[in-house]
Amino acid sequence: MIKLSNLTKEFLQGQEKTQVLKGVNLNVEEGEFVAIMGPSGSGKSTLLQLLGGLDIPTEGDILINQRYLSNMTEKERTIFRRKYIGFIFQNYQLLPTLTVEENIAFPLHADGSLTKEKNQMILELLDSVGLKGLGRRRANLLSGGQQQRVAIARALVNNPAVLLADEPTGNLDRSKAEEILGLISRFNRENNQTIIMVTHDIFAAGFADRIILFKDGIVDQVISRKDDSYAEYVANFMA
Amino acid sequence: MLNMWRISWRNITQNKKRFFISLLGIILGIAFVTSMLIADKTTNDVFNYYEQMYVANADYWVLSDQHTYSEDAVSSISTSPAVTETLIALDKQAFFELEGDQSLNQRSVRITGVNNQTSSLLKLPVIEGSLDNEGLVISEVVANQLNKKVGDTIRFADLGEAKVSAIVEYTQLLAGPSDWEGAESTSFRIMAPLELLREWTGMDNELSYVRFQTNEDGQQLFESLQNEFLNSNVYVQPVVADDRQSNDIGELYTFFYLIAWLSIFISGFIVFNMIYTSVMERKKEFAIMKSFGYLQSSVSKLILIEVLLLALIGTALGVPIGIWLGDMFMQTLLGVFEFEMVYTLNWGIPVLTAVVIGILFPVVSSLFPIYNAGKTSVLLTLKTANHTHSSPKQHLFRGVVGAGLFSFIFIDHPSSYIAILASIILLFPMLLYGLSWVLKPILKVFFGYSGILASRSVTQQLNRNANTAAILAVGITVILLLSAVIESAPEGYENEIRNTYGGDLRVTSEVQWSNEDREKLLSYDSVSNVESLMEATPITWETIDGKKREFSILAVENEGPTLFEDSEKEQLYNDLSKEPSILLGKRAFDEWGGDVGENIYLNTPSGVQQIEVIDVVNTSHYSGYVAFMDENHLTNEFGWENSFDMLLTLNDGYNGEQLREHLWMDFSNHLSKVETIEDEIKSTTSSLSGMNELILTMLVLIIGLSSIGTANTLLMNTLERTSEIGTMRALGFTKQQVKKMIIGEGLLIGLSGVIGGIVSGAILIYVTSQSKLLEGFISFQLPLENIILVLIAGVSLSLFASWISSTTASKINIITSLKEG
Repeated sequence: MIKLSNLTKEFLQGQEKTQVLKGVNLNVEEGEFVAIMGPSGSGKSTLLQLLGGLDIPTEGDILINQRYLSNMTEKERTIFRRKYIGFIFQNYQLLPTLTVEENIAFPLHADGSLTKEKNQMILELLDSVGLKGLGRRRANLLSGGQQQRVAIARALVNNPAVLLADEPTGNLDRSKAEEILGLISRFNRENNQTIIMVTHDIFAAGFADRIILFKDGIVDQVISRKDDSYAEYVANFMA
Repeated sequence: MLNMWRISWRNITQNKKRFFISLLGIILGIAFVTSMLIADKTTNDVFNYYEQMYVANADYWVLSDQHTYSEDAVSSISTSPAVTETLIALDKQAFFELEGDQSLNQRSVRITGVNNQTSSLLKLPVIEGSLDNEGLVISEVVANQLNKKVGDTIRFADLGEAKVSAIVEYTQLLAGPSDWEGAESTSFRIMAPLELLREWTGMDNELSYVRFQTNEDGQQLFESLQNEFLNSNVYVQPVVADDRQSNDIGELYTFFYLIAWLSIFISGFIVFNMIYTSVMERKKEFAIMKSFGYLQSSVSKLILIEVLLLALIGTALGVPIGIWLGDMFMQTLLGVFEFEMVYTLNWGIPVLTAVVIGILFPVVSSLFPIYNAGKTSVLLTLKTANHTHSSPKQHLFRGVVGAGLFSFIFIDHPSSYIAILASIILLFPMLLYGLSWVLKPILKVFFGYSGILASRSVTQQLNRNANTAAILAVGITVILLLSAVIESAPEGYENEIRNTYGGDLRVTSEVQWSNEDREKLLSYDSVSNVESLMEATPITWETIDGKKREFSILAVENEGPTLFEDSEKEQLYNDLSKEPSILLGKRAFDEWGGDVGENIYLNTPSGVQQIEVIDVVNTSHYSGYVAFMDENHLTNEFGWENSFDMLLTLNDGYNGEQLREHLWMDFSNHLSKVETIEDEIKSTTSSLSGMNELILTMLVLIIGLSSIGTANTLLMNTLERTSEIGTMRALGFTKQQVKKMIIGEGLLIGLSGVIGGIVSGAILIYVTSQSKLLEGFISFQLPLENIILVLIAGVSLSLFASWISSTTASKINIITSLKEG
């Protein structure tokens, strides 16, 4: 589903080059829920940006759904993102002038593919994220948890192959975070969507099938739910 | 201190495009003001120069109410010890003898004979030849017209011939037509030695006037001469530099100053927008500064320095551009006149004034954000996100006040215009809101979903966007009103001239019209009526401030021709006939500065008199720089006894052109001027036709400046919505879609400005046409050509402005903007 080969990303800071990702190789299976953890500056957010086509790697390849992102033009990446990628941000990034429904429908509008059926699907999505009846509200008037639910619905509206979540519970308290993570896992299970979630929070990472630890721009450690030591690892980490 | 300036510099230049657009706004605003100030001063200088050339060093002159008088009458002047120099002049109407097929009236020329061409009481700037007191002196215009050079001979019918000894620059004394068409109605003027003219005409010992210069005893001599001439046909007047009867340039400048202030207003708004948004963006920065001990005044000072830096750079660049624009403007303006006027740009005081305005107006425009920056609350700002949205309550308040001010359309008062313009600005959020709703489907058709988003975004910063559109609308409104006035003015002037000219033709003679002459005039098939017109000129008078002025007084009476407009004309005739009193034309009244019922000081042929001003009236004569008096009082109390003008009224189907040639043939021995009502209408309205081009230029410039405001506002909106636009891009909005959205916003602002401006312009034109104060001077007539130009320029420049901002929006870095969000 996703294959990263020798993924390298350098940034220029003044006169100095900083290598944020240093030849990352990684495979993610279809329908897999992967959590990426690591200290600040380890390259996890940069990885997410490259996966979303928001930026291009300095070296290496990104293959998603049999398509190489590195070969695409800026416009092709935008359209690819619109069709195959769903984004969930830490600070929700809802469009303040639009209503809840309009925010959810935004990727469809951008694509010009909003139909009556899809409108019905938006209502169902609203229902499934627990926001039934709030569709006509201005998005910025909702609570933080509600806004993140809208963001999840928006990320799922075009049924993307990959859902990228950047600290989706970073601004929420534990109970709200649990609700949101529950929702994300539910969609992962029900729709078989591939999810890559960047997080600092081991509690959030505990919902994933696999936890990948980044350190200094490389994959430092990978722990899978299938591993016997997974539960112990998470428990130790939390402790 | 240096540090603060450096920090401020970094702050204002942080966003290069915003800095450039704001600077451009200031530069254009200040350039307009500089050019207007320079053009005003220079025009004043030009007219003063020609006035001074006419006056020269003369202090007084002795004239007569007859065409000429005997030199003996003024013998006491040449012998008076108070007199330092004299100049004797004799005017004689004659005809050129030309080889071409010019008509008699085209060949008409007034020869002024002077006893000394080099006198300091005459100023004749020589271009070629010399003032030798032997030959003729002609102006360059006449030389070109007759194709004569120095040394060439000019012949005069029934008089003689003389050689041209000097060609001089234009002066009022030698003013004449610049082409043969103009020569149909206006005589040429040339100067000859007095002795030669007397020899040709046999008018020995005759003169038209004597000018003299005096020493410190001049006033005493003036008073004694007034007494001496009390019961004679001569009278003495101070020589006054006042050409307002032939020049109405002041009105023109009121008009151009209006444009200059409008541009400063728009520039001020651009600066306000930039500084206000910058302050709102940096609230957190100010809060942090204050948390580290910065005072309110220190923060405000930082912003003030930023504004001052912008103002200084804008002024430094705008003023030189303004000087250049002023020069261009002067060339265009003086090009309207028939003769080539020389001018030197007077830029000293205007540049100083412009520098002061250039530094002050950005500061004044930014006072609120400067104060607001200092008032930043540390706790509130660090806790909450910045927001610049206004509340519905504010919109409601704005709307209510706007609607209230709009009711001024029912009040016929000059202040209503200010109130209506203010109401337009206040009501604009409602208009923009409504228009963005109405235009949403159209935007959707052209821009897809980006169009829908554009109509949403416009209402997000409703006040700012509405203000931007309102500024464009106000600019368009004012210009449309002015162009309607300019378009209607010829019709208005024509009506006024036809109502107050007093006939269809005015014929002027060098001698009094005899009864035989009158009979002869009446015998023409085309003439239905002949009335004499008595004009006392020049009459000097004093303004309320004691300044000396000069005009003509026309005699009126109930049975005579109509020379002015007033709803209570009969009553005024009646009042004028009772006691010696006077009516002033509108411009003379304004220049005088007094009130109806007060007395005006006049130097009459019967000495200084105080005469009550009983009313102010509208008249076409000398554009209102004139007075009216009862004919009997003008003769008896005032001492003016002769009339040299006749007003002829023609039968239906005839016009003055057909009669002109007959008149010159039949009265060639004493006729000096034949002016038809059409000549008067043409000379009054011809300068207005050139004005429309200037209006169109101003229109495009104002829309251009307003569009800089639109670009500035859109850029602010874009920068404030970086995170939002970044999100859109992250969610799959292409760069093109973002561009379309911003262009859609610009189009909405521009269109609402244009539509609002056209509607408001139409309202103001209607209000003006209904105004009783203006007595129907303009009719309700929309300047369609200019409206089309407004539409094209407004929409295309708004599109261009939004394109500038859209390129910034499309280049927003998605990752950075998401981090900021």
